[in-house]
Amino acid sequence: MASTPETEDQKPKHRPIIRIGLLLIAHSFLFSVVCCTAGIVALLLLPVLSKKTYVSENALMPGSASPMITDQDVSGANRFMNELTSLKLKSQRAGIEIPRLIALHMANLGGEVSYHKFQNHPNKFHPLHFFTSPDTEANHVNKTCESHATNTVGIIRAPRGDGKEAIVLVTPYNPVNLSQNEALSLGIAYSAFSLLTQVSWLAKDIIWLAADSRYGQYNSVAAWLKDYHTPSFGDFGKLHGDGCHKSSDVPESKLDMIIETEVSDTLRRAGTMAAALVIKVANPGDEGEQDALNIYAEASNGQMPNLDLINVVSYLAVHGQGLHVQVEKVVSLLDSKWLKFIGEVFETVGKIARSLNPQWKFGIPVKEYVEGSATLVSSLYNQALGVPTGSHGAFRDYQVDAITMEISPKISYTSKNRQTQFLVRGGRLIEGVTRSVNNLLEKFHQSFFLYLLTSSNKFVSVGVYMIAFLLLVAPLPVLAASLYSDANQSNLESEKNKPLKSWRWLYPTKTVFLIHLWGAIVSLLPYFIYQIPDSQPTSRLLIWASLSLFLLTVLGSFSGSRSVQWTLLKSVTVSAAFIGLCLMSVINFATAELGALLLVPVCLMVKPWRVAGKIHSALNLVLVIIGFPGAAFFVVKSAFGFQNGSSLVEFWYWVESLWAWNSATYIYICMVHLPCWVLCIYILLHPC
Amino acid sequence: MEKSTAKKHPWFWFWSSAVASIALRLVLIIYFPNTLNFSSRPEVSTPITSLRRLAEGYWLKRSSMSPYAGSMYHGSPLLLSILGPLTIDRSEGQSHLLCGLAFVIADFITAILIRAIGQRLQVANIQSLKSLGAGRLSKISENFPSGDIASLVYLWNPLTIITCLGYSTSPIENLMIVLSLYGACTRLVPLAAFGWVIASHLSLYPVILVIPLVLLIGSGLDTPPRKLFLQQTHGEDYKKTTNGSLHLINFSWRPVVLFFLWASAWAFYVLVLCAISLKEYSGLGEMFKRTYGFILSVEDLSPNIGVLWYFFAEVFDFFRDFFLIVFHINILFMVLPLAIRLHHRPCFLAFVYIAISSILKSYPSVGDSALYLGLLGLFVNALADMQFSFFLFSGYLGTLLLSPVMHNLWIWRGTGNANFYFATAMAYACFQIILVVESVSSMLNHDRALKQGATAVAKKEEHEKILKNLENPRSGVTWEEYKSMRFTFQVSQMPLLVLTMNDLM
Repeated sequence: MASTPETEDQKPKHRPIIRIGLLLIAHSFLFSVVCCTAGIVALLLLPVLSKKTYVSENALMPGSASPMITDQDVSGANRFMNELTSLKLKSQRAGIEIPRLIALHMANLGGEVSYHKFQNHPNKFHPLHFFTSPDTEANHVNKTCESHATNTVGIIRAPRGDGKEAIVLVTPYNPVNLSQNEALSLGIAYSAFSLLTQVSWLAKDIIWLAADSRYGQYNSVAAWLKDYHTPSFGDFGKLHGDGCHKSSDVPESKLDMIIETEVSDTLRRAGTMAAALVIKVANPGDEGEQDALNIYAEASNGQMPNLDLINVVSYLAVHGQGLHVQVEKVVSLLDSKWLKFIGEVFETVGKIARSLNPQWKFGIPVKEYVEGSATLVSSLYNQALGVPTGSHGAFRDYQVDAITMEISPKISYTSKNRQTQFLVRGGRLIEGVTRSVNNLLEKFHQSFFLYLLTSSNKFVSVGVYMIAFLLLVAPLPVLAASLYSDANQSNLESEKNKPLKSWRWLYPTKTVFLIHLWGAIVSLLPYFIYQIPDSQPTSRLLIWASLSLFLLTVLGSFSGSRSVQWTLLKSVTVSAAFIGLCLMSVINFATAELGALLLVPVCLMVKPWRVAGKIHSALNLVLVIIGFPGAAFFVVKSAFGFQNGSSLVEFWYWVESLWAWNSATYIYICMVHLPCWVLCIYILLHPC
Repeated sequence: MEKSTAKKHPWFWFWSSAVASIALRLVLIIYFPNTLNFSSRPEVSTPITSLRRLAEGYWLKRSSMSPYAGSMYHGSPLLLSILGPLTIDRSEGQSHLLCGLAFVIADFITAILIRAIGQRLQVANIQSLKSLGAGRLSKISENFPSGDIASLVYLWNPLTIITCLGYSTSPIENLMIVLSLYGACTRLVPLAAFGWVIASHLSLYPVILVIPLVLLIGSGLDTPPRKLFLQQTHGEDYKKTTNGSLHLINFSWRPVVLFFLWASAWAFYVLVLCAISLKEYSGLGEMFKRTYGFILSVEDLSPNIGVLWYFFAEVFDFFRDFFLIVFHINILFMVLPLAIRLHHRPCFLAFVYIAISSILKSYPSVGDSALYLGLLGLFVNALADMQFSFFLFSGYLGTLLLSPVMHNLWIWRGTGNANFYFATAMAYACFQIILVVESVSSMLNHDRALKQGATAVAKKEEHEKILKNLENPRSGVTWEEYKSMRFTFQVSQMPLLVLTMNDLM
């Protein structure tokens, strides 16, 4: 805007930073092309640029002590498992008996045991959850007596600690229908717990949470954490299921009589949690010769636990127990041709670079690249969804670092010998990790919180992946500025006497603001749609879409004047997109990156079809169609071969899951992506 | 958007939007009292302005303890007596409803006063343009109803609304500042003195507004530079209107002296009231220590959108006093040069002072920004050619949205740290500085354009050539004047320099 003809004379007076800005604005097209390409190349390069993980906190010292689990612990665990399975077979009321059995064993080992009863609260839609602090939600739940589940909590008080910190072990199991895998995971936790009651080096309390997962693994842990962190005044225990519970289990069993004295219904607490491990056992995998350990780390809104926790677990699993550690990856990408091609290109470039200068260590083998990319894509996807990948997600909301360790044995364990061996391995792993975390003096803070995994021992840190994103979005402000100055200049020529020429952006801003307001309303609509009883997902989706369209036309009539110059409108749209993407990159990087991949090309290319050429318009049209969130969803689904259901219903469920988990991605889609997309269409159809 | 409709029914348009904004506030206060929990946001409520602290202070006072005990309350005892009873009757779930209503009323009165100031400014502006003898000059200066625009900007500014919903006492402070400006504009000396004394009593920084107030009372509303009028009188046989303009130039001392007399009377009165209300607990000494001392010595280092908390959390203790002086002098530094350069436009000068003090305050909040953004609307005619307006708008929007996100990242998620939040505070300060610099420089440009226009009228033979220049008012920036802009710019960049020094250290 500063480039009126007179500025030519004034040029020497400009400060250098403004001169650089003017230069960029003058060559905005070139700049956009270069930056976008560089951004995409940088994104593809991420697996190459990933670094090896290292344990950053010295106090952790993983593997410095030899494992102490003895046969006695493991045989105890074996007995425990046998009792569990036999109880499951013979008893009709396993749902009540199994928690009691677990409590009995915990108490026998010497832990303090308490029950935590909770009711199932289905996830609710809090559109503004992200911006409100966790405490602000009022807890208005009408307590019905019908359904409650019971978590069993055992606590070992640390002989050397002050009771201010704790480590949590979580074993989700379903008492109504206990599977063999769940029994195994309980067994592993039992063996570790049995050892930890005896050791003298414990400085943090150990909490073993046997989470009743009949209403979902996440819910049980979340309910317990919520009560754990809610300050209790006086008779807290009576808050939950008072009266209701007593009536449900009138026939007191013998087991109950024994432990009645030791188990309390009041919630017992240990200190603040330093770390939490969710232990699961998966079905035997068919690949590889070793037992495998799967690590799941993504919590809500793409938050990750501290990298040190993952490092410790994978170090101990690999070097201590000889497990094969893996992270989730998109299997369908493993044999994609174009990824292999890109990998080959990078490998050759790396080879050439090395032949020029042996010091340049660049480039990785094709296979590694493809696997890294597959893991990276899965990592990005999981973070972008903002839905936690397991019950560890509940911990992250309380700033506790947690991961799920899913151990999958090589072959199924039928023989007792093999089972014992497996229990020893699992128990030792847990013991090692606990011992490392036990050494911590502060909470995890040394290593990264913001990273993407490309394999279990390689990561891309925020400093690297941000470059890709910033390169991708850098053209937006430049384009906005250049369009703005163009509009102003053309305005100078055409309508010289029009007032307030530097404030003319107010008119397009009004349009953009109205559309974004529309986006906000659209994001709130599902709340009202849910008030309509007995509706099918498809009809709900249709109601949503039609209501949105109706509102759009109403708001469109408000904005009225079509005389807004399209260049100015585009400039404001692009700036809004830039602000939205940058905000989102802080909240959830992965969403912003994927969103930028969809949104930036549209924003850069879009032009009214009367101005643009035919090919350009066709290209615009394709980009706009892909840019629609629903279309993008289906394209991604089909491209990566995720499961396919009935499409509309599936889309509805997908959106539903997003808001049920309070994902910021939902807010992003409705309040940034959708309005920008609508504005792009508006520009495309603009009658200049 | 306002313009087209405003021409048809200016009154209707203004009042309907004003009432709509008030209705919006009422709806938000009554139906969504705790949805967004603005009152716990560091951007909205500071230790000085938080109503929660005020309620605490009132509780202490009622249980016959000093309201300043426990370092919770740091406001004025008068505010405690006025707003305190309103905080009491909070039934379950409805927090501070009455206080919310009080703030809505305060906002509304502020907006009405701003409108009145704007109308007076506009009348004065037209008069002075006429006396410069240029109907043609209307090309330079548009004629928007600046009062209406400014008060609507104030009422509809999201920052004002958030401040009003966030239960901070800044609406009252803003009201007092605007009241003093209004009093000075209308030459109601007692009112001006009252507003000034109360505003300074509440938040200390409005003390520096004494210069614009005195200029307003002494020499009247904003006019083009006086040199122009002198030129007119010396040059040729210009009309008799010059007498009127000459009259404007006189600086009348009598109202100024009256102003100071009234101000001391009010100050005495306020102090007596404070002393009475604090009689049983502690004297005025403690009040000074706990209010002004608290403001000046930056004791509370909890994060806010300013830049001082981070600095004083980092600085070594033995440098603390030195840097306290440096930071506070920073504001005073800019007072004099700006007063010299802008003495003919006292209202604009007041705007610049308010903006600068809200950048460099020890506990700034968005409420302060709301005030100066509203006042900016008063000069819409003169600032029609302001540069970077869109850039500034996007910047303000971006940083203000980013700030809660960074706060969340730092406090609730634990993945960020203090630097994240401070970065947004820095960016915010930068944008505010750019706003001040740009508005000052475009005001100077406007004066320059007026000067050229006036000369054009005087010397008709050069008429055409200069008219061409007129269309690009930016064109005739002479090196000399550019230098003077430089000075203002450098002065206002001082705090940034100090901050960068801090980072290097």
